Amino acid sequence: MNKGLRLALNILIAVGVIYAILLIGPVASFDIPIIAGEIAKNPLQLVQYLIIGVANGAIFALIALGYTLVYGIIELINFAHGDVFMVGVFASLTVLSLTGTLNTTNPVHIILGLVLALILAIVICAVLNAAVERLAYRRLRNAPRLAPLISAIGMSFIIENIGLIWAGQSWLVPSFGTSGGAAQKNFPDLLGTMFTSLNLNQNLFTSSGIHLRITITGLIVIVLAGVFMLGLRFFIQSTTLGKAMRATAQNRDAAKMMGIDIDTVITATFLIGGGLAGAAGLMAGLYNNTAWWFMGFRAGLFAFTAAVLGGIGNIEGAMAGGFLIGIIASFSDGYLDARWTEGWVFAILVLILMFRPTGLFGEQVGEKA
Amino acid sequence: MRNIRLSVLFGVIGGILTFLFEGWSVAVVGILMGISLGLAISGQLKRKEPAKLALDVLPSALVSCGILLILSLLQNYVITGVIGHSPAPLEVMIPANLIGVLGGALFLLITVALHGLSEGQERIGRLVLLGLVVIAFPFVDNFTQLGWTSLIIFSLIYVLLGMGLNIVVGYAGLLDLGYAAFFAIGAYTTGILSSQQDNITLNFWLVIWIAAAVAAVAGILLGAPTLRLRGDYLAIVTLGFGEIIPVIFLNLTNVTIKEPLTCWIIPGVERLFGATSKLSCNVIANNLNLTNGDLGINPIGRPALPFIGTFTSNNTVPWFFLIILIILLAIFGINRLRDSRLGRAWMAIREDELAASQMGIDPVRTKLLAFSMGATFSGFGGAFYGAYIAGVFPGAFQFSTSIIILCAVILGGIGNIYGVIVGGLVIETADRLFLPALKDFFTNLMNHSVLPALASQKTLHDIVAQNANPILYRYLLFGLVLVIMMAVRPEGLIPNAQRRMELHEAEEAPNVAASTSVKS
Repeated sequence: MNKGLRLALNILIAVGVIYAILLIGPVASFDIPIIAGEIAKNPLQLVQYLIIGVANGAIFALIALGYTLVYGIIELINFAHGDVFMVGVFASLTVLSLTGTLNTTNPVHIILGLVLALILAIVICAVLNAAVERLAYRRLRNAPRLAPLISAIGMSFIIENIGLIWAGQSWLVPSFGTSGGAAQKNFPDLLGTMFTSLNLNQNLFTSSGIHLRITITGLIVIVLAGVFMLGLRFFIQSTTLGKAMRATAQNRDAAKMMGIDIDTVITATFLIGGGLAGAAGLMAGLYNNTAWWFMGFRAGLFAFTAAVLGGIGNIEGAMAGGFLIGIIASFSDGYLDARWTEGWVFAILVLILMFRPTGLFGEQVGEKA
Repeated sequence: MRNIRLSVLFGVIGGILTFLFEGWSVAVVGILMGISLGLAISGQLKRKEPAKLALDVLPSALVSCGILLILSLLQNYVITGVIGHSPAPLEVMIPANLIGVLGGALFLLITVALHGLSEGQERIGRLVLLGLVVIAFPFVDNFTQLGWTSLIIFSLIYVLLGMGLNIVVGYAGLLDLGYAAFFAIGAYTTGILSSQQDNITLNFWLVIWIAAAVAAVAGILLGAPTLRLRGDYLAIVTLGFGEIIPVIFLNLTNVTIKEPLTCWIIPGVERLFGATSKLSCNVIANNLNLTNGDLGINPIGRPALPFIGTFTSNNTVPWFFLIILIILLAIFGINRLRDSRLGRAWMAIREDELAASQMGIDPVRTKLLAFSMGATFSGFGGAFYGAYIAGVFPGAFQFSTSIIILCAVILGGIGNIYGVIVGGLVIETADRLFLPALKDFFTNLMNHSVLPALASQKTLHDIVAQNANPILYRYLLFGLVLVIMMAVRPEGLIPNAQRRMELHEAEEAPNVAASTSVKS
């Protein structure tokens, strides 16, 4: 086939795809003319969605780091990771409830409660994640590849069930607010409460006319996530254990020969990934104000997509991918229809895996499937 | 000794079942226990004369049936008191226990004695035995008023789905975590084509083929993008499809399709040049409600046959035989497929894709056919399911459905069709029959005996009342099945010989090395 013909064919395919998107897109609320009109009418709305997207993206990025770290080292999709995040949400809600932080407006009490919740959520999730590795993955490390993946799915189901039972314990996680049903719990925005009780405005910037609102909670979530990511970067780049992790990711056997204890490194990886998910759990609770036993599935898949988008095994890529997915999801929620957001994120995942399996930013480990 | 242990195990399981279902259940349970115990034992016996074999397992029969009888009597006179039921009357209790215990022992002896015949005769004998049980089951169930048939039909649907998934996962080695998508496609095709939703009402016997064909095409369409992916990535993408497809069906409630050229592109260009558009917008579909969202499509047309008439919800017997027939056809078809050129190509791809493609197998075509064939069976399953419950609801096709089917395949034995049948029956029966009965049992037990005792301690009382519900632990059950099977017996209960060798390669390799070193 000569060049001209191929070019013509490609153009024809592109035109066909665009036509198909215009034709079928509106069924999935992807109605370009309407969206363009909305953006033209109220450009500041775009900024609002962007901010929401960045805050949620920071949470996704923290979860995505857990996927990417684990995949980098043992090439396993830790399917239960999203559910570990869900446990983080419930753990922090339980700590806040048991310390009486949910019903107070005393700023000192709130700060102490939140710090304790953060620490305990990190510890609980880290230990849980390491326990999952110990129970379900370690003995399958040399088994055929499908075996640990299936085991991981089983673990995900088990943790989801734990979350379901946890959500039902009204003595641990009270129904707070009006819409707290049996399965879905409200997670109060304590940072906002704290600022209000200090006579400060919890909204850093509001304007009713142009629909732009920046909350203190969003800002703190973004900053805190940034601190965790920088901390992780420092840990990976500059500590002995971090170096051991990088070495193990590059070549497990060679690392073993250099005297690195592989089991310790893998446990440390799971501890770190779980801890980040726990921190993300508290932040997600504060920012999105909800706790649901099934929330780990969606968050996990969004975060996994983020990790793949950034090139799985690539830490900076996972962070960037997290923010990107957060923004895409927020735009889809805002301009399209929240019902279809999951579909769009999966479509991105499939397209990336089909056309650029190494992710947008390249990957550190090859696909050894 | 091992036989005795097995007998104790089966006897106890049977006894627990009588705890849950009471009354006539001991008759049915006893016979099923006898046959399954016979099948489990005879696999380990050497071939001898039938009479000698039967004599050998007499102790097993005594142990298992004795335990069953003791537990059944215990249930009738002790347990019923604890959970606040009245014991079954003597005219039910005596014949039920007699049939259960004697029938169980008899069928156990027959099943084991069959092992004494030649291999071909044994197989025929077993088929006849199983055929008798299957044929008698719905009528016995009707007579004893247990109401199991309507639930067993769901298990059989999952058996069909498991056999389809087994083609993809077991034969071709492609982990598909979104298999429920094809089930959804089959069911929704049936729903759209045979309900009042959009004024198309076709005959079920036609729709079931259309549903299978649509599912097969969907298998190719969804399989195509995944061909370049391997292992985990493939699993995740199929999972993504498994999530998207139900979301699409859920949201197709307000379909508006406008032809873009006449609606936007040409008018837009004209507006750019300052002209007003005279074209009328070409609307293909306007506010079409295809799937009715959360409420689902309801009611769906049902199959009808001469002499039997239209299948109804009240009479489960025709449904039971219809799904049995579909499963028999599927077993026949899948066995033929497995032994065909295509089936061997699937297994070659599973073992080593590169080597297979060097031997002249086209991996693209082979994998696509695996997806498509696997999807076909869930198309049948979906069509039957839609017609059976007379409605299609989006909640039935979630990720957990895909995982339950996968559970069935893994529990039974990847790659072995009979293993998958057992796995599907066990998993789905546990889910639909056992757990609800267990829940009732616990509820009664709690309300009648435990909770009144705890009335003084309110917190404890509330916690116990809330958590003593086995249905709450449903996902835990499936999760544990997957994790434990992977850790303990990854080849499944009834493994495929090849697969078992593969999975235990790592354990056997050192032995080989050890034995060679001893020789040298």
